[in-house]
Amino acid sequence: MTLTSKPLAIIVFIAIFGGIGLSSTFGWWQTESTKEPAKYTEGEFAGTANPADIRGSYTFGDISNSFDVTPEILAQAFQVTTDTPASFPVKDLESLYLESGYEIGTNSVRLFVAYYLGLPFDTTGQEIYLPQPAANILQKHTTLTPEQSTYIQTYTVDVKPASLVDIEMSPAQSEGTAPEAGPTTSAPEAGTSSEEEYAVKGKTIFGDLIRWGVSQETIEQIIGAPMPDPAMKVKDFVTANGLEFETVKTQLQAEVDKVKP
Amino acid sequence: MITLFGKRIRLFRPRSIWIRRIVQWFFFLLITLIAVNHTLVENGVGIPFLASASLHAVCPFGGVETLYTFLASGLLVRKIHDSSLVLAGIVLPLAFLFGPVFCGWVCPLGTVQEWVGKLGKKFFKRRYNHFVPTKLDNILRYARYGILIWVLYVTATSGTLVFEAYDPYFALFNFWSTEVAPTALLILGVTLVLSVFVERPWCKYACPYGAVLGITNIFRVFSIKRAESTCKADGACSIMCPMNIEVDTVKTVRDHQCISCLECTSEAICPVARTVVFTAGGVK
Ligand code: SF4
Ligand code: SF4
Repeated sequence: MTLTSKPLAIIVFIAIFGGIGLSSTFGWWQTESTKEPAKYTEGEFAGTANPADIRGSYTFGDISNSFDVTPEILAQAFQVTTDTPASFPVKDLESLYLESGYEIGTNSVRLFVAYYLGLPFDTTGQEIYLPQPAANILQKHTTLTPEQSTYIQTYTVDVKPASLVDIEMSPAQSEGTAPEAGPTTSAPEAGTSSEEEYAVKGKTIFGDLIRWGVSQETIEQIIGAPMPDPAMKVKDFVTANGLEFETVKTQLQAEVDKVKP
Repeated sequence: MITLFGKRIRLFRPRSIWIRRIVQWFFFLLITLIAVNHTLVENGVGIPFLASASLHAVCPFGGVETLYTFLASGLLVRKIHDSSLVLAGIVLPLAFLFGPVFCGWVCPLGTVQEWVGKLGKKFFKRRYNHFVPTKLDNILRYARYGILIWVLYVTATSGTLVFEAYDPYFALFNFWSTEVAPTALLILGVTLVLSVFVERPWCKYACPYGAVLGITNIFRVFSIKRAESTCKADGACSIMCPMNIEVDTVKTVRDHQCISCLECTSEAICPVARTVVFTAGGVK
């Protein structure tokens, strides 16, 4: 059988576009990540979503769809100040921390999510950095193995994302202009001054207090109960437990004032 | 068509496979539009009804790069999507049947090198594509296998798309974005400059995907065959071959560099009808 150019051209077209069409009917033609991470295939956690497969294109919200970790926790851990943490793309972390000189990005999020949920994660040969608040959350809310603790201690860095640094360095920006070196999308709330940052308000969550440096013990003493989910608003907790928000707020503010830089 | 000394000779024959040029243009424009639209969508202004996939999603080589990781863990290398595996699954059987038609007809990087090569043909006439000494050229042509092995190794061990930083194809369709590594731009630049002297230099000496597909030349079902009984031995087919394959010295082209462009056939340059043909059968 001999072929000439025209039939060959037709074959090439049919093969490529027919193949794509056919694969779409089976649902295989995915040109974007489905935002559903692959699952562990073996061991104790087989069938559980694997944090190692979190992609830079995921938002904090996508992560919370597959893993039991809220966007707020992720935002606190990685010091992302935004009203909509669920829409913050993981890949923007890198530019946020570019100035810090440490690579804090998708791998850091993978490590954080894995340790937060007690899932296995291979760090062999890797230097994965975490910002201090992420390490604080892990140490306070999860049971880490001694190796994990050591790893975290080794690679925790006290750095601030670009936008926070900018805000502190140039008060003019608190007038309402967006910080220059912020992430490309979902830039942290413009106009958040450092004063506001350390003010206990209606929207303050427990995670904020931890991030600001108030110890969990102190918080628990003030609220008279074990600390709930760090993503919970202090006000919601206080109201639900029949406490007076103003009183609790004043006590907490006093503690915040003690530790704030 | 006239018969001269018992041989059928075409008086007016096309000098090239024009339909291949159309197919090449088509895929070049398609990939350009997809790449531009991808950037537009990222900036919130995409062209409606047009795919906006990332370049990695529409590159079959991604499917090869991720194969080890996929088989070992069920995961894809970061930035690679299922569509790359699908494309690789389409292009490979095509190559088993027809050889690297992807290279000769579809790959926009191959196309762009050919376009730049037209300049070289204008400047250097017959000297074009004959600058590299044969001995050196023969050795260099195996370099792409080394590059292939390196790419597969670093991708498998790192789980990331290391080759992206060196890939001229990615650079060609993303040169406007900050995602492109300077090394990739540099390699693209060098490739384009070399294309003025050598036809498809990247394909010949460096392309790891060309290396994968090239292997099918050894056993492909349809191949270029030359009927010795009617051949005038004028060497036109060899002169025309972009990959410098000496078609006029063999009965069946099994060279690992053939790209199934059909430019050597009787449909294009060979002046004798049905003498250089693309066939699954035999010729006399
Ligand atoms: S050898 Fe590589 S660059 Fe050249 S056409 Fe084939 S895939 Fe494209
Ligand atoms: S041998 Fe013929 S089909 Fe193969 S690359 Fe050369 S001209 Fe093209």
